[in-house]
Amino acid sequence: MRHVIYALILGVGAQVYFFGLSVLVQITLAVITALAAEALVLRMRGMQIAPSLSDGSAALTAILLAIAVPSIAPWWIIVLGVLFAIVFGKQLFGGLGNNPFNPAMLGYAFLLISYPLQMTQWPSEFQGVLSIFELSGIDVLTGATNLDYAKTQLMLGESIGALTFESVSQMWINLGFLLGGVYLLLRRIIFWHIPLSLIIGLVLMSGILYFIDPDNFSSPVFHLINGATMLAAFFIATDPVSASTTPLGRLIYGFAIGVIIIVIRVFGGYPDAVAFAVLLMNITVPLIDYYTQPKVFGK
Amino acid sequence: MLDAVTVLSILALSFGLILGYAAIRFKVKGNPLVDQIDAILPQTQCGQCDFPGCRPYAEAIANGEAEINQCPPGGQEGVDALAELLDVETLPLNAEHGETKPKRIAVVDEQVCIGCTLCIQACPVDAFVGSSKVMTQVIASECTGCDLCLPVCPVDCIDMIEVKPTINTFVPNVLELANV
Amino acid sequence: MSNFSFKGGLVLENPFPAKEIDLIRIPLPDRVILPMQQRIGEQAKPCVSVGDHVLTGQVIATIDDDRCAPVHASISGTVVAIDNQIMAHQSGLEALCVTIESDGEDEWMDNSVACTENYDFCTPDTIYNKIRTSGIVGMGGAGFPTHIKVRFAEGCHTLIVNATECEPGIMCDDALMQAYPTKVIRGVEVLLHICGAERAIIAIEDDKKESIELLRKFCKNERITIESIPTKYTSGAEKILVKLLLGIEIPSGGYASDVGVLCQNVGTLVAIFDAVVENRPLISRVVTVTGSAVKEPKNFQVRLGASYDYVLGFADIDHGENNFRMAGMMMGVDLEGSNYSISKNTNCIFVNKVEEKTPAQECIRCGMCNTVCPVELLPQQLYWYSKSSNIEKALDYNLMDCIECGCCSHVCPSNIPLVDYFQFAKALNRQQAREKEQTDNARERFEFRELRLERNKKERGEMMEAKKKSLKEKMAKDKAQKEAIAAAQERVAAAKAAKESENSS
Repeated sequence: MRHVIYALILGVGAQVYFFGLSVLVQITLAVITALAAEALVLRMRGMQIAPSLSDGSAALTAILLAIAVPSIAPWWIIVLGVLFAIVFGKQLFGGLGNNPFNPAMLGYAFLLISYPLQMTQWPSEFQGVLSIFELSGIDVLTGATNLDYAKTQLMLGESIGALTFESVSQMWINLGFLLGGVYLLLRRIIFWHIPLSLIIGLVLMSGILYFIDPDNFSSPVFHLINGATMLAAFFIATDPVSASTTPLGRLIYGFAIGVIIIVIRVFGGYPDAVAFAVLLMNITVPLIDYYTQPKVFGK
Repeated sequence: MLDAVTVLSILALSFGLILGYAAIRFKVKGNPLVDQIDAILPQTQCGQCDFPGCRPYAEAIANGEAEINQCPPGGQEGVDALAELLDVETLPLNAEHGETKPKRIAVVDEQVCIGCTLCIQACPVDAFVGSSKVMTQVIASECTGCDLCLPVCPVDCIDMIEVKPTINTFVPNVLELANV
Repeated sequence: MSNFSFKGGLVLENPFPAKEIDLIRIPLPDRVILPMQQRIGEQAKPCVSVGDHVLTGQVIATIDDDRCAPVHASISGTVVAIDNQIMAHQSGLEALCVTIESDGEDEWMDNSVACTENYDFCTPDTIYNKIRTSGIVGMGGAGFPTHIKVRFAEGCHTLIVNATECEPGIMCDDALMQAYPTKVIRGVEVLLHICGAERAIIAIEDDKKESIELLRKFCKNERITIESIPTKYTSGAEKILVKLLLGIEIPSGGYASDVGVLCQNVGTLVAIFDAVVENRPLISRVVTVTGSAVKEPKNFQVRLGASYDYVLGFADIDHGENNFRMAGMMMGVDLEGSNYSISKNTNCIFVNKVEEKTPAQECIRCGMCNTVCPVELLPQQLYWYSKSSNIEKALDYNLMDCIECGCCSHVCPSNIPLVDYFQFAKALNRQQAREKEQTDNARERFEFRELRLERNKKERGEMMEAKKKSLKEKMAKDKAQKEAIAAAQERVAAAKAAKESENSS
């Protein structure tokens, strides 16, 4: 679990570079809340606290959620989200290894549905500057993410084909997470099945739509470099406890998440869809596992 | 208004006919519930449940004449299994009917046996070999440990021996495996 | 080189490599304890009593039918006890054993009756019997009676000699091959003669280069080939080895004989040679002593029944807090103390310094175990179902195909002892099957008894009815007769009276 946290450093670093230190503050707050919540629930369950906390799973959930939630959201957003994720998403199911849903995504979905306003205000990027300290008189500048912007344009009836996004920040952040993911693959901490199939599903679905109507659908490249695509592919969907376990099952699971991400992004009401896509596929995992059992020796 | 009444009456009549036909054509012979209950009971045939055997007890449960917690040889697991089958709340084993003992087998002390055949007549599963004025002994593989032969023996020559696990029958305790 | 491979398995390094492999014959032990229990379900009955003098190679226990191999005395001396002794088993339970105190002479029993030295001229049946009466069982660890296995494989086309010794750390087969290469080859020839196979393949892992060279040098028989296979754990499992060499997958629940293959451990073959050609029953075996507390791993040729302490006394061991383990580091059994005896399937004793064990944590469903299972099962699913005692579902996921190799436990990042859970599930399954048989039996007997009592009652009732009826008939007949007599008497009396009155008037 520690290695997964190390692998996140590059992506988080890119986030800090473009959007300021606030994300680190949020991560710290999230981790503290997570550890405290887990310790409390373990105490109530009468179980030993130290071994469970030291395996790093609660900290990882907290960090993933802190990355996913806008860093300028009020402090109580992240605290509530982490509490929900740890207590309801993990401990009440029986602790590590027993949760059917990805806890971070459960927390994110809870926050998004309950506090849509705070969850959709993202900091704007300033080119390569620790902006928050340089700008005088203004505490923060918020704006829409690229995905948001594309959606609004579409609603206004404008074509987005001609929009070339100078989405350098998003690209670097996703690149950071991609490199972190590759590090995990090389260290054999995650298997290649889910990231690869997720990306293929994503590219295929968006490619088909883009091919049909390039004016009203964004290109696959756009979808790859915007939003939480790489984070989802390498860190979120690969959570072993809630993902499928058979090799073929993993391919189906990843592919379906990729497709559903595009479907919700394009046709659904929310700009980013990773959380819902992952949660939906979590429900189908037992079914997928049952029907994709590998052939046993001698049968 | 008349249309509605007519239509509904016709629907009710047709559904009633279909259900009636199904009730006769697909009627289940016997009472499978009794078989299912009997499959859970341990077949000790001891009578501690106040019924003369496991099948009568199963029939009583199916008819609602007996509670599910009257069988000590089945243990609490048996009560829980019955509760799950019948979809009711589980109950603690009723101590009035006896306590759950580990598996035991009867053994006759051959020096003392007088060949009265009372034990042969008492055994619910015919696990004795013997005859009048001839020494009698228990067939160990058939004995269910029901204790019914103990009170009838006039010379008190039957002992109940606990069955100990051997290397062939040993089952490790699953709860201790993780603490190795 | 074979062209086939198998999925799963692990490439493991020998943690305690030996500088040179040699076979040391240790002196006769002072006493031996021989178990009557050789495998699950097969318990032999002693045919000697306390106080008897026995000779080396004399049969001291047999079982009535053909199922089990007899037990022989491994030294000459006096039987001092027939009682329960602790067995080298995870349960720590005891079983019946015969204890013999040595007289120091090692006087051998004359087994030259039914001599099969010129086995080429003996019928297969004669040689089967020789193998059976010599008490030979599979020496690779499972201990299956060899004569039964050979009989089942009558008409097979390939004989595979399992000299892979894939479990890291064990070297007893290697030592045996390097010490007695000709015995191995001759043993293979004996078996080829019995089972009529077209060819034999001796499979050796490629890290045992000296053995491969030696065997190739001494093998002049064209029907026997020495195959070197890649060093990978579980390549020595019978099912896996057959797939590796011949590309055939033995069907689940089936045996090698079903596909025309006979597979034997190389130690078994040497034992066959000793029995058939030299009239010596199975009374000794090679045991490896290794581990972190052993300065230099060694192989000893030991008489069966010698105590572990006696054998360990010949090895250079760091005496301190040590753990003892029988068989290999993957499939072995951890033992309490060292008060056990060498049996027919003790191939190795590990003496390890006591180390802190990392406790088991929760399963995180990472799936590492799924990737290394050589039988391509899903150990993770089996774990969840075994843990909750859901045997039905575990059987659904092919629990019985598990060869308990330990690859899954080895790679588990949460240190879960997976194989222990599967052994529990299998034991529970056996127990449930036993109980079901007993309850079905009890139910049947109870119902029959009820039927019998009913029938007796009915028969008695009918008998009473019939008796009553015949009694009634008899009474009626009697009555009718009486009435007839009375009527006749009356008639006679009336006639008499009438006559008298006639006479008087």
